[in-house]
Order: sequence, then C-alpha cells, then structure tokens
Amino acid sequence: MNKLRENTALKGWLMVSPLAAVLFFFLVLPIILIVIVSFWRATEFSIIPAFEFDNYAFLFGSPVTYTVFFNTFKYALITWACTLLIGFTVAYYLAFHIRSLTWQIALFLLCTIPFWTSNIIRMISWIPFLGRNGIANSALLSWGVIDEPLEWLLFSDFAVILAFVHLYTLFMVVPIFNTMMRIDKSLIEAARDAGANGAQILWNVIIPLTKPGIMIGTIFVVTLVMGDFITVRFMSGSQSANVGRLISNDIALLQYPSASATAIVLLVTVLITIGILLRFVDIRKEL
Amino acid sequence: MEPRPRSFYVLTAFFTVFILFLYGPTITIGILSFQGEGGGLTFPMRGVSLHWFYDLFEQQAVGDIWGSFRRSFLLGLMVMIVTVVVSVMGGLAFRSKFPGSNILFYLIITSLVIPSILISLGVGLLFSQSGLEVHWSTSGFGAQLTWTLPFGLLIMFAVFNRFDKSYEEAARDLGASPWQTLRHVVLPIIAPSLIGVALFGFTLSYDEFARTLLTSGSYNTLPLEIFGMTTNVTSPVLYALGTLTTVFSLVIIGVFLCVALIMNRRKSRQASDAGKGDL
Amino acid sequence: MTKFTNRNGLSRRTLLKGAASTAVAAGSTTLGAPMLWAQNIKDVTLRQFGTGVSNLNDVATKVKEDLGFTLEMTALDTDSVTQRAATQPNSFDIADIEYFICKKVWAAGNLQAMDTSKIDNYDKIAGTFRSGLLTPTSTIAQGTAPHTVGFTSGVNGTDFVQEESGWMTLIPTIYNADTLGIRPDLIGRPISNWSELLNPEFKGKASILDISSIGIMDMAMVVESMGEYTYPDKGNMTKEEIDLTIGIFTEAKKNGQFRAFWKSFDESVNLMASGEVVIQSMWSPAITAVKSQGIPCVYQPLEEGYRSWGGGLGISAALSGLELDAAYEYINWYLSGWVGGYLMRQGYYSAVPETSKAFMSDDEWGFWYEGKAAEGDILSPTGDKLAGAGEVRDGGAFLDRMGSVVCWNSVMDENQYMVRKWNEFIAA
Repeated sequence: MNKLRENTALKGWLMVSPLAAVLFFFLVLPIILIVIVSFWRATEFSIIPAFEFDNYAFLFGSPVTYTVFFNTFKYALITWACTLLIGFTVAYYLAFHIRSLTWQIALFLLCTIPFWTSNIIRMISWIPFLGRNGIANSALLSWGVIDEPLEWLLFSDFAVILAFVHLYTLFMVVPIFNTMMRIDKSLIEAARDAGANGAQILWNVIIPLTKPGIMIGTIFVVTLVMGDFITVRFMSGSQSANVGRLISNDIALLQYPSASATAIVLLVTVLITIGILLRFVDIRKEL
Repeated sequence: MEPRPRSFYVLTAFFTVFILFLYGPTITIGILSFQGEGGGLTFPMRGVSLHWFYDLFEQQAVGDIWGSFRRSFLLGLMVMIVTVVVSVMGGLAFRSKFPGSNILFYLIITSLVIPSILISLGVGLLFSQSGLEVHWSTSGFGAQLTWTLPFGLLIMFAVFNRFDKSYEEAARDLGASPWQTLRHVVLPIIAPSLIGVALFGFTLSYDEFARTLLTSGSYNTLPLEIFGMTTNVTSPVLYALGTLTTVFSLVIIGVFLCVALIMNRRKSRQASDAGKGDL
Repeated sequence: MTKFTNRNGLSRRTLLKGAASTAVAAGSTTLGAPMLWAQNIKDVTLRQFGTGVSNLNDVATKVKEDLGFTLEMTALDTDSVTQRAATQPNSFDIADIEYFICKKVWAAGNLQAMDTSKIDNYDKIAGTFRSGLLTPTSTIAQGTAPHTVGFTSGVNGTDFVQEESGWMTLIPTIYNADTLGIRPDLIGRPISNWSELLNPEFKGKASILDISSIGIMDMAMVVESMGEYTYPDKGNMTKEEIDLTIGIFTEAKKNGQFRAFWKSFDESVNLMASGEVVIQSMWSPAITAVKSQGIPCVYQPLEEGYRSWGGGLGISAALSGLELDAAYEYINWYLSGWVGGYLMRQGYYSAVPETSKAFMSDDEWGFWYEGKAAEGDILSPTGDKLAGAGEVRDGGAFLDRMGSVVCWNSVMDENQYMVRKWNEFIAA
C-alpha cells in the first residue's frame, strides 16, 4: 500500500514538474528578487545592493501614496459593481434564455472577439469616440440632447471606468456563465411549481447558487483593475494615477528599488484582498 | 416549446447594447481605417479609400510591424502548445492528491492574480542581475506562461472534476493499459476543452502587453511595437493595423471552430458514444 | 616554383603584399569615402535605437545604398531610450540619444568616447556643440547645454570636461528650439508669453508633456513668465524652487486648467488636431503633422525665448574592430549632408548645416534656415505639403530661433527629488 502511495506522489510530481519549474523561475524567484531589491539604493542609472528602509519610509511618508491607493481602490470598487451588474445580466441571458448549445457558444464567442484587438489600439480609439468632436458628442449635439460637447466623457474618471468595464466585463461573464450552466434545471422547475415568480426564483435560487462564479469573477476583475497602469494613463489623459502608474513611472526612470517597494506593497494589498474574498468561496470545490 | 417570457426581449435588447458597446471601439477603428489620404487619427473623416491598407504593407517611417507580428505569432504558437501540454499534465496530476499539491495550487492562483507589472519587473530584474540577456523567446516566453498556464490549468481542473471516471474503469476492465486509456478514452473526451485551452493560450499571449513590457528584449512583440509606434506615428495606418488584426482573430476563431466541428462530425460518423455522457 | 626577384631583392609576392597593405592602409585612412573591404562590410549589421524623431527607416535604406552595411533601427519612447542606454549595453551598437539622457547614463560606461580626429566634418559642427557659443557674442543658456556634457577625458573617460578635448561623448546630429504650439483659429488672438499656458481663459484646454526632465523646464519658463519667480538656473533647481514650480502647476491642475497630459508625440498631435487642446507644449514634427492634416497650427515664438534640446549618436562601449570602423563610417556619412537635409526638411536643425545645404533646394534652405518666405510649396520628406508660397517659418531664421534659446532640457542635481515631486503632480 505504501508503495502505491509513493508511486502516486512520484507520478504526480513528474507530471507537474514543468509547471512547477515555470512557476518557480518566473513567479517565485522574481518576487523574491523584488523583495530583495526593494531594500537597495539607486542612482540615476544603476542599483546598489544595500539594506535600508528608505524606499518604504518614503512610500509611507508621502501623501501621494495614500491618494493613489485610494484611487486604486475606488476604481476597483466602481468597476466591480458595474461589471457585476452587466456581467450577471449577460450571463443570465446566455445561460437561461438561449436554448441551443450552438447559439450559446456562438454568442459567447462573439463577446470574446474584441478581446483580440490589441488593448492599445482599442484604447486609442476611445478618443475619437468620446472626444469633443467625437462621435458621441456629435450624435448628442445633432439630436439636440445637449448644447455643448460634454467634456467629462473623455480624460476623466468616467472615461477610465468606462474603459475598465469595456475591457474586463468578460472576466465576470465567463465564470458566472460557467456556474449558471451547472445549476440543476430541476431546481428552478421545483421553485416554479412551488409558486415562485421570476424575480423570486432569481433572488432565492439562482443568485445563491451563482455565488461561487460571482466570487471568481470578482477576484479577476479586482486584481486586473488594481494592477493596471496603461488604461488609467490613457483614459485620464495622464491626469490621474493608480499604483500601477507609480510603479511604471519609477521603472521608466530606472528607480528599481522604489518601484520594487511600491510593488511589494501592492502585492501585499492584492493578496490580502484575495485572501478575504477566498473565504467566501472554496475554489477547488467550485471548479 | 415554452413561449418566450417578456423578460427575454428586454434581455435581448440589453445584450445587443452590450455587444455594440464591446464592438464600439473596434467599429470606430474600422471606419477610421478607411480614410482617404489626408486623414488623421480623429474625426471628421477625410475621404474614403483603401490607402492606409496599402500603406500598411509598405515600409513605415518608423517601426517594424511585420517583424513584430511574426514574433507575436510565433510566440503565441509556442505559448499555446506549451500551455496545452502542461495544462493537461497538470490536470491529470491534480486528480489525485500528492504532497505539496495545495501549495502548488495556491501558487497557480497567485500567478493568475498577481499584477502583471510585478512579473515584468521581477523577471526583468532576474535576468539582468544574473547577467542573462532578456529576449522574447526566453524571458518574454516565461512571463507570458505565468499568465496563460493558470487559465489553462483552471479549465483543465474544471474539466477533470466533472469527468466521469467510469469510462476509464470500463477501459481498464477491457484490458487497456494506462497509456491506452489516456490516448483512446480520456483525450478524445476532453478534446473540445483542449481546443478551448489552446485558443485561450494563443489569445492571451498574442494580446499580452504588461508582462512582456520589460521582458521582451530588443525586439518587440506586436503589442509592444504598436505601443512604441504611438510615439511617432500619427496616421491611420495604426487603425488599418487594428482592423486587420481583428479580422485575423476572427479567422483564427473560425479555424478553431471548424476544427471542433470537423472533429465532432468525425466522431459521430464513427458512431461512437464518446463525449455524449450528459444525455 | 621559381621565385621572381627583381634587382632590389624583393620578390613579387612581397611586392604584392606591400601594395595590398598600402592600399588597405590608404583605404582605411581615406576619410569620407566608403572604402572598407567591400565584401566584409556587407556582412556588418549595426543596431541603432533611439526615439522616433530620427530613427527613420528611410535612413537605414539610404545607408544600405550608400555604405553597404545593414542598419537596424528600433524606435522607443524617451524614457525607454534612457533605460536601454543605461541597462542593456549588449542590445545596441549605436545609441541615438539626447544630450540630457547622455548626462544621466554616461557614467554607466556603456558608451565609448569618439575620437574627433576621425570625424571629417568636425570643424563644421555648429559652435553650440563645441564651445557652447552659436556666434561669438551668444550667451550660454541655462540648463544642461550640450557642450557641457559633450566632451570627456579619454576613450574610456567617464567624466565630462569643459574644453574640446578631442574625445566626444556623442557626435551631435540634430537639435531644435521648442516652444508652445497653438491653434490660432480656436484662440483668435496673438499669444506672446509662456504664461498664457496657465491663463484661465484656456481652462480645460491646455496640456503639458508628461516627461519630467522636459516638462519641468516648460513649467519653469511659464512660472518665470508669470513673474512669480526668477530662477538663477532653471536647469539646476533647488528643492525649494522645485516645490514652488510644481506647486503652482498642481494648483492650476486642481482648478481644471489641463485637459490631458501627453507622453508620446502622437498623443500631442491627436489632442491638437481634434481641438481638445488649444495650447500645449509641443515638438516641431507634431506641428507639421497637424498642419499636414490641413489644420492650422502655429509653433509660437514667445518673448521669453525657447527651450532647446540636442541629440547625437553614441557608440556602444562593446564595439571594436570592423564594426567600430563601420560605425565611424556611418557617423561621417551622417554628417555629410543627406540625413541633415532630410531632418531639416522636417523642421529640425542639422548639427552641420553647411553640408545639409547641398541636399536641400534653395527654396527649402531659404524657408527652413534663413527664415525667408517660401517661393513655392514646401514639402515634407514624405511629400506632404507643409507650407505654401509666401509663408514664413514659425519663428523665422535659424539665428533668430536658436539665438533666443534660454534653456536646455536638463538633468538637475536634485533629479530624484524632482521626479518624486513630478509624480505627485501627476497623481494630484
């Protein structure tokens, strides 16, 4: 019996060895290195091994850090709320109202195609769409809804959230859709037989059963928003910042130690958030 | 067939608006890429022509689109193949608990949720501190794998969780060796999911920007090249590129769909029951 | 085989050898003519990187035509260029960088100094880059003037020396005087001071570039123009001065003065062309790009003067042998006029104006350099019309523009502090 168990362990490890190798070299080691470097010093163009807390001291002492982290959380929260509402509705539609599997897959794929255009190009094209002379404003002006172009459509928080929702709703749709498909249809029938109307079924049966999918989607969206830096820069016209921006600015100026310090703080924040979220769902069971 | 409830129409309308929202930028780029020669990057449009598409195929003032496209494509294929193979192996391994599987599982989740810029920074530092050259096929490749592997693995976990073991038992009862069971029973059943994993692997790699930013070395992938070109390209050729990329992706998805359909048809022609376990 | 010897005791073989080596020696020292070993040179590939301003594929094509070897160009944004110059010495052979970047990265030792005796047109390089004086009566502008970081002590020197030592850090190739760009049609009145950038009249319609080393200089010009403060040296501010400068702009930002900031050239073109912004920091090719779309845009000469920048080519420290020779060939060819003419027709100035003149038409030379009215259409190197007959270049003649430069793009002593403050400004 022992031999059999050893065999399973060995076989298991052999099979995951490439995975483990990749994760070790490209995840674990880099993170360790970032931690180490965050204690180093930097000059204009090089980094010097040292052990000092300067970078962290500066980070926690600057009011900008708190503003920026607050911004990051703000974006994450609002984006989460929007993507949840939209994603849930879309997934509900696809799972319960579309009858044939082929159509479900086809419509699902339809949703993923924009994913394939480069993020950068998609972002650049919001400008002609939302700008002062863009399509949105021109359309609204010609319909007489407004008198002057709406300035806040672009280069504002609105634009940032809009871009985030555009990019990441899919990450909410997929897990929710997945979970919904696994709901036993007979439960819904039973509820209907017991006299529940549509809304009640939704609230009492479907939503509780979809919770794991919602949690997974939340994890995706929140971490993606917290780690993003390009979208915020482009859509706010470089006027507002989140943590990713701080890090990328530092990297661009070769200040790797302070970038690393900021990165570690971000990582810890993200991991704590995920840890809290994971309390509400057991991933291994829900897969 | 039950009659459609009213909510169906409301939701269909919502879905349509959603799709329009998703495609808005893509359509905008599409329209703008057909501009005439004097066109710029914003409205109003100046003329209608295929000029910029022709221009795309000529040498640009700055930048190397086709070289980076080639690299992105190659890298995408490499990542796709490795992702599929490693995901299947990982999925198979995780079916039974082995010591350390929990840690590995949480590492996979970490790899998924870690902000991309950290991977980029870390891998870049790793290579530069150890004196190795940063190159798209080594460091870039590895960085992208940290993004695609978790997706592939999670899909495989889901698939294997719902996998009916009785098929394998039946094969074993009939005298098949583990390898034969794998090849003739397990793989055909999970084949559609493998296509999904492959598609994911390619897509995620092709579009990947943040993790490759510091890890691709002197030669850029396509997203990086486009980002670099925004420094000094002010013509709609960028939009023509975007339109063509979208078309390219549609073609790829179409190819994958066809492959899936053909496999399906071949299976039903062989009158086998494989994959029909849900009925 | 019988040896042929002539009366002097030399064999034919040694004669031939001698002749060959003399020819080779003559070839390698005959400057200005691409006479390197023809078959070897075709195998040489030089990798160049820099910003999109001068990393033009047309140049690479002409190099292949004229010199025979391959030039691989990679264009990046300013910050990435700095990064690569400092940290990836094995990834390039030629660095096409600005002088302020040189100040940052020279001490990293990734570039080697260049022997000016090997540069044919050294004496024709504009005085700004050698002695710092454009004309004998010029004053040296504030900031990191190129000549202060242009010379070093020896081939492996990591310092900067203040005289023409014979060893240059970069060979200057291009420079220009920058100012604010405006949309005259949307503004409707003359603009003549830097302070107009913060004029509440343009609230929500102004922009400034988000590159700290350059943006801080523009900020300083505005602050000085507003009369808030006079800087002893804009290019080297103290912490208090940095706080003051950035503070004024942060307040303006909070009041909604700025529509957006731009980090890349094409963003600035977009902002101007779409009318989102009517006044902003701009670079010369951006003006021409907007104009070539048929939109009026002016590179406005201002009372207080211009901010200037200069760029040049540097050679990787790892280069030696045949490739090093090829690099010198390239640099000499670069200064011999074709590239200079190309760049000048985009609105830049070549560091060696004399040789560029031969590659421009008289009308073009008159328009771009002498500030005369154009006689016919002025076209960009890619054929777009930039100006019609009778128009004068914004700012006028070379001496007017470069003579009114008051500061250079700079790296100051308090650079790290400045960068942190800049980040705060962006995040505010």
